[in-house]
Amino acid sequence: MVRILNLLAVVALIGSAIYAYTIKYETIFHAERIVKLKHEIKAEQDQIGTLRAEWAHLTRPERIQALADKFLDLQPVALTQIVSADALPAKAPRVDAIGRKLEALGLTEPTNTPRDGEASAPTTPSIRTR
Amino acid sequence: MIEGRDARVRDGTSGGTVGPGRNRVRAMKAFIADLFSTKLDKSQDRIKLVACVFLLVYGIIAGKLILFGLRQDQTLGVKRAASDVIAAARPDVLDRNGEVLATDIKVMSVFAEPRRIIDKDEAVELLTAVLPDVDARELRERLGSRKGFIWVKRAITPKQQQEVYRLGLPGVGFLPENKRVYPNGPIAAHVLGFANLDGVGISGLEKYIDGQGLADLHGAGFSLTPDDLKPITTSLDLKATYAVRDELTKGIAKFKAKAGAAAILDVDTGEVVAMASLPDYDPNTPADALDPNHINRLSVGVYEMGSTFKAISIAMALDLGKVNLHSRIDARDSLRYGRFTIHDYHAQHRLLSVPEVFTYSSNIGVARMALMVGVEGHKSFLRKMGQLSRLRTELPETADPLVPKNWGELNTMTIAFGQGLNVAPLQAVMAVGALVNGGTLVTPTFLKRSEAEAKKDAPRVVKAETSESMRYLMRLNAEIGTAKIADIKGYFVGGKTGTADKIVHGHYSTDRVFTTFMAILPADKPKYLFLTLLDEPQGLPETQGYRTAAWNSGSVTGKIIERTGPLLGIPPRIEFPTQPFPLLAKLGYGMANAPATGGGGH
Repeated sequence: MVRILNLLAVVALIGSAIYAYTIKYETIFHAERIVKLKHEIKAEQDQIGTLRAEWAHLTRPERIQALADKFLDLQPVALTQIVSADALPAKAPRVDAIGRKLEALGLTEPTNTPRDGEASAPTTPSIRTR
Repeated sequence: MIEGRDARVRDGTSGGTVGPGRNRVRAMKAFIADLFSTKLDKSQDRIKLVACVFLLVYGIIAGKLILFGLRQDQTLGVKRAASDVIAAARPDVLDRNGEVLATDIKVMSVFAEPRRIIDKDEAVELLTAVLPDVDARELRERLGSRKGFIWVKRAITPKQQQEVYRLGLPGVGFLPENKRVYPNGPIAAHVLGFANLDGVGISGLEKYIDGQGLADLHGAGFSLTPDDLKPITTSLDLKATYAVRDELTKGIAKFKAKAGAAAILDVDTGEVVAMASLPDYDPNTPADALDPNHINRLSVGVYEMGSTFKAISIAMALDLGKVNLHSRIDARDSLRYGRFTIHDYHAQHRLLSVPEVFTYSSNIGVARMALMVGVEGHKSFLRKMGQLSRLRTELPETADPLVPKNWGELNTMTIAFGQGLNVAPLQAVMAVGALVNGGTLVTPTFLKRSEAEAKKDAPRVVKAETSESMRYLMRLNAEIGTAKIADIKGYFVGGKTGTADKIVHGHYSTDRVFTTFMAILPADKPKYLFLTLLDEPQGLPETQGYRTAAWNSGSVTGKIIERTGPLLGIPPRIEFPTQPFPLLAKLGYGMANAPATGGGGH
């Protein structure tokens, strides 16, 4: 009995030692990962900073104006072109332009599906040969 | 000791009479018993020996410690040595809408540890081959020094880094550093100033930031990362600043001026929304900033502001009750004082009303008004308006105004129309801003702030009625007076011109002028004050050869207003307000609210 107890104690000892070491190594592993991730975050942030600076440099008004003068057909906005919101005309009644077009094409009329199950009968309008 | 023990053992063997086998065993036993004996008489030697050994060991340790203490520099790591020289992180500087004006980027810098380099000549040769802009002789000299750490080149490109890395030189390495970049180049350069390679602010807001405790933190050894630093939001609007600089550049080129400056001030908050001073420099190449021609003409240069100062003088006379808007001032003849005579540029030779004095920009009229107030009253009013002391903003570069030492009546008369007192243009802008914003003197700032914050401890310098009179006068001047050129259709602009003859060899020159223009927008409730100044603009055929402010500074200001007005969110008006000056109407000056355009221009 005592021997079994001893054996159990030894096994428990070895088990706990293994467990403790596992935890220890896992901790080291995680700590290393944290350090690595922190470095990566730092590198990313530096990258973002550089990109922000680059973006600001590329979108500086001086360059945008030069490009706009070269490629766009725009003129500086005149003061007469600016009106307040209430000076705008009232909104026109809602028109379903696409719906109207479909109606004009006659697509809203009920389609006559062949009832007799004649598969060869054309369902799309085509020149009748009868 | 060992010998002694052996001798005793030998004694034991020689004295025994038993056989050799037994004898040996006993001798061994005796020897072992002897070895572990704890008798005091026997262990004394051993205690001494042990004590000696311990003494020796501790002595060595102590000696080594002293040695380490004496030669500390060799044991320091590169990182430690470099932490003093590495460029510190600085906060970002943003414009009022969050656009980046200045930021830090990470760059690699090459360093060398001279003590670890084996062949210094070879190292110099290889390094200068890869980095051609490094001076070989100077690098060799620095490598020969006894320092533990030197920079070879700061801020290299990734390609150069790769090449230096491939050289495989021992004692040469890289360190990441912060480099200050200004993505917008010369735009707002004078406000931003610049920081040097070590991340120390040298001028402008960069220096101001250091003064706010950043430098102390670095000095105390805190290495701050950009995330710890809150970005600084300036009062500038990047787009408006660009537009102002662009129009000013065009104006300077058109009128062949030597230099120029322009600014937009929010009169309620004192924020400088846009500012440019030309010629300027690119803060990314800071060596240019030291050129004395590149100074900030708005805060470092002091100038005679010319007729724009008349606004201050008339406001003074109105505020002190010496005149009202109906008063008539005698401008029939030139004003004589001793051997000096004051003339009018647009002489009318008649009695002028106060609005006419302003719109004709009459020197005589303003001089007479200043005389009504008197020398002391004039001085104290100008002091109250902040014109006689140095204006302090966030920018470290400022200048004292040039105040005449013996201020007599003649000085008062000339200063009344803007000659004889040199002030920084920003100072004059502050005063005129106070005259039109309702009467509170708000110190200009380059950092974003709210109106409540600005007016918290701003003193009231003139009455609200005086302020409204000034708005009326400036509006009238834009309708019929000298500021017509800046009367942009769609905006309710007010303005005042100023042309000062420059002093050349102690005399007022007749062909060199310094022109200024101030405009308010909108004139019935000013939000922005525009200032443009041009140094030595030339007359052009289309200006009929005139070089007065209305033609050059005025037209530049007009263009600036037209372009920045929509950017700054000022809606154009199709119909002007029918009652722009209600306070004046209540006081019995109903003519202020009647459009003056029918009254004929002059």
